[in-house]
Amino acid sequence: MLLSDRVTGTVLVVLGGLAAWSGSRLPAVPGQDVGPAAFPMLIGFGLVICGVLIAFGIGHSFEVPEEEEAPAGRSSFYGLRILVPPALLLFYVLAAEPLGFLPTAAIIVLVGALVLGARLILALPIALIAPVLVHLAFYKLLRVPLPAGILPAPW
Amino acid sequence: MTMIDRRSLLGAGAALLAAPALAQSRWPARPVQMLCPWAAGGGTDAVLRIAATLLEKELGQPFNVVNRTGGSGVVGHAALAASPPDGYTLGIITSEICMLHWQGLTEVTYKNFTPLGQLNNDPPGIQVNASSAYKDVKQLADAIKASQPGKFKASGTGQGGIWHLALASWLGAMGLKADHVRWVPSNGAAPAMQDLAAGGLDFTTCSVPEARAMLDAGRARSLAVMAPERLSAFSNIPTLKETMGIDITAGAMRIIAGPSNLPAEVKAAIEPALKKVFDSKEYQEFMNARGFGLVYADGAGAGRALEAADKSLGDAMKAAGLAKA
Amino acid sequence: MNDLLEAVRLVAAPDVMIAIVASAIYGLVVGSLPGLSATMATALLVPVTFWLSPIAAIATIITASAMAIFSGDIPGCLLRIPGTPASAAYTDEAYAMTRKGQAETALGAGLWFSAIGGIVGTLSLVLMAPLLAEMALSFSTFEYFWLAFLGLMCATLVARSSPIKAIASMLLGLLVSCIGMENPAGTPRFTFGLTDLLGGIEPIPALVGVFAVSEVMRAMVTPEPPKLPDRKFGSILAGQWKLTKKYQWPMWRGNFIGVIIGVLPGAGADMAAWVSYAMSKKFSKEPEKFGTGHPEGLVEAGASNNASLASGWVPSLLFGIPGDTITAIAIGVLYMKGLNPGPTLFTERASSMYALYLIFILANIIMIPLGILMIRLASQVLRAPRAGIMPVILLLCAVGAYATGNNLFSVLMVGAFGILGFVMDRNGYPVAALVLGIVMGTMVEQNFITSLIKSDGDVLPFFERPVSAVLATMTIGALLWPLGVWIWNRTGGRRLPAQGAAE
Repeated sequence: MLLSDRVTGTVLVVLGGLAAWSGSRLPAVPGQDVGPAAFPMLIGFGLVICGVLIAFGIGHSFEVPEEEEAPAGRSSFYGLRILVPPALLLFYVLAAEPLGFLPTAAIIVLVGALVLGARLILALPIALIAPVLVHLAFYKLLRVPLPAGILPAPW
Repeated sequence: MTMIDRRSLLGAGAALLAAPALAQSRWPARPVQMLCPWAAGGGTDAVLRIAATLLEKELGQPFNVVNRTGGSGVVGHAALAASPPDGYTLGIITSEICMLHWQGLTEVTYKNFTPLGQLNNDPPGIQVNASSAYKDVKQLADAIKASQPGKFKASGTGQGGIWHLALASWLGAMGLKADHVRWVPSNGAAPAMQDLAAGGLDFTTCSVPEARAMLDAGRARSLAVMAPERLSAFSNIPTLKETMGIDITAGAMRIIAGPSNLPAEVKAAIEPALKKVFDSKEYQEFMNARGFGLVYADGAGAGRALEAADKSLGDAMKAAGLAKA
Repeated sequence: MNDLLEAVRLVAAPDVMIAIVASAIYGLVVGSLPGLSATMATALLVPVTFWLSPIAAIATIITASAMAIFSGDIPGCLLRIPGTPASAAYTDEAYAMTRKGQAETALGAGLWFSAIGGIVGTLSLVLMAPLLAEMALSFSTFEYFWLAFLGLMCATLVARSSPIKAIASMLLGLLVSCIGMENPAGTPRFTFGLTDLLGGIEPIPALVGVFAVSEVMRAMVTPEPPKLPDRKFGSILAGQWKLTKKYQWPMWRGNFIGVIIGVLPGAGADMAAWVSYAMSKKFSKEPEKFGTGHPEGLVEAGASNNASLASGWVPSLLFGIPGDTITAIAIGVLYMKGLNPGPTLFTERASSMYALYLIFILANIIMIPLGILMIRLASQVLRAPRAGIMPVILLLCAVGAYATGNNLFSVLMVGAFGILGFVMDRNGYPVAALVLGIVMGTMVEQNFITSLIKSDGDVLPFFERPVSAVLATMTIGALLWPLGVWIWNRTGGRRLPAQGAAE
């Protein structure tokens, strides 16, 4: 996901422009001269300026050259692995209510560990123990209402 | 021997699993979740936590407070209204439920709840800086009437918040337009009181308990309270009714409620329990110590209070131009 | 003197002592769980304090909050998951030290200088409370605006990358803080019709997302780093005395800034840590080492952080104005126990006040042994294989975010901010600046807009009041700094270190 400054700068310009534009369309508040539009418009303009500067490479000399850590010789699918954590979080949002906390958490930990290259002999015990400990801490100690689902905790 | 032990253990386990089903007839048979639409640490949260602790003592099951915050109260109120009406999800609702729908922020109104008991009401007050020239509320009112629109600056909460509406109602009762005094939106009563003490504002309309520490410190004075009667904890502050003949009854209410269609059996169990909680020494001491207004109403009474507030707040919001057409 | 003896007797009561130790352990555990804030730890204690004696009740709140704030630094240092927005200022620094194998020095510095900061803050409370309170009361929205602005500018001073990218990140954070209806006008903005966005983006899910989730994402595509040489986890306090002597100045400066900023309600520990870290870098003899695992900034920011916590009690105790959510809860407990905040608390209830001071000092002292224990336990994490730890962190991110509002939407937010944080990090945009923008955004806008409303749209009052004039000069100086350096670079053609600013 290494993008050129030109790309990120342009994204910022577009984003700032959108913010300023939609900010300017916010309705004024009756009885007030300064409404909700002022602040988003200011930020929007600021982002546009920064975006332009970045796109033209100004200030680049300050950056510490990043040590390139791209794994060589892997297939292009390898990079897609970065999407695994957000996908697992999405899975949590969708599955926590119907499945319940304990099974959902176990699946997340198991999948996460396997993708990171753990062997089953390590991944399985962690997937079984970690959810239980987390549940105990949050549900019992902090009274966070974690969903029970198909496998209610016995405590 | 071990065999029997194991069997009896299994039996006990089965009995435990079956117990909730058998005891379903008596509410509450398991822990009750109490939703709070406001953040942990605020006044509503404190009242609910104390009430929940006392309810637990009264009814013998844990009452767990859960803060469902977000959307200026919209999220928590909507979650309570949409929860299953089985008596195991209850919560606290506040005056904002009579305001949010007028602003077009939610479809949920007070009609989506079963009120179970009002635990508190705080009327708005009128506070000025200690060095202010206005000695009583009449002098302040006369000065406001004589001033250019927008010259006087007042605060107490955010734009369109309950204390803003109190100001609008007061101005309306004096025959002035709702924006005759410029409202300076603040992040709650405490920053507004600080700005008042720092000399940035002319007056605040937050409740007297919220202004209390500044009053005690001699940095601010309370000129009046917008309530039918004087407050028991602040009996030296006159009401707006006795000084100006203006009757405003809106205030910040806190009401324990459940979703609509709550079973009669749950209502029958919790309403007397709430009355006991309200009368308990601990609750009275807590509320008096905080200076919160001790106003009780049963479920039906709380329902009437909500209905009246919904109308009066709706009128004030329309007058101030805050309601969505 | 009698009051002091009476206070010692009050604090030495067995129930108070038990309350202190129990709430200390509780605070340490809760604070170290990612996503769980010190505020939440304190709020959960309120029903418990109901059944305690007044002094024991206050003791639990003070002790638990001080511990939770310190232990929030532990996951930040070991795993790059800052527990509080305050610790986000120096998370990358501490994590860099951990990667260099100096986790014990980093955590030890956090512990040692937190305790010193806490004690100095308490002394300022004892000696100068009325004076500090007077200062706090002279701050109106104009001064707050400049202060918040100045805090934001720290993001550019701290950044190791291009200052323009740092400003862009900060503006992005400010834009995020615009979401929702928690703005002065009470108007919903950028909510795209979603009820969940009405309340805006909470800092905690954003914080957890950009730091922790993006770290897990990075682990997915990088080979496991070579194991640190398997050596004994060194003594935690060893070397702290050397650091204290070496960085005496930064430490005192941190304490001083922490006390001053902490007194201002609403500014609090978050800003104190940022400002101090930025100052430390600016005045350091070796600013180029900052961000690579250099303890100097940790010393100053850690001290400042905890000093501000203690001095934050000044406006609470004198005027009942909460400095942050924790003192808001504490004020409730004080009222509940008949210790009504106000000047009379210092005169008529002097023994209770002294007891309160003693509890502060005690809490900061027992923080050291208990903290060492906690660090030793927590640092076992470093020995575990990465493939086992990272998925559990991800799980904690999900649950911790959920716990902030018991809302699954927060979990989605964590994922979204994870992606954002990862992309920003890869392209040289500092994520800490983004977090600062999100945390400070509401305060900047609130004070900017209300000041404009009060001045009827006039800009002059922003510079008229004496304090605001000073703050304005400092802010504009910091704002022009990147520009000045850029021009210098162009004309002189030589690369400047972060030092030597145009002020």
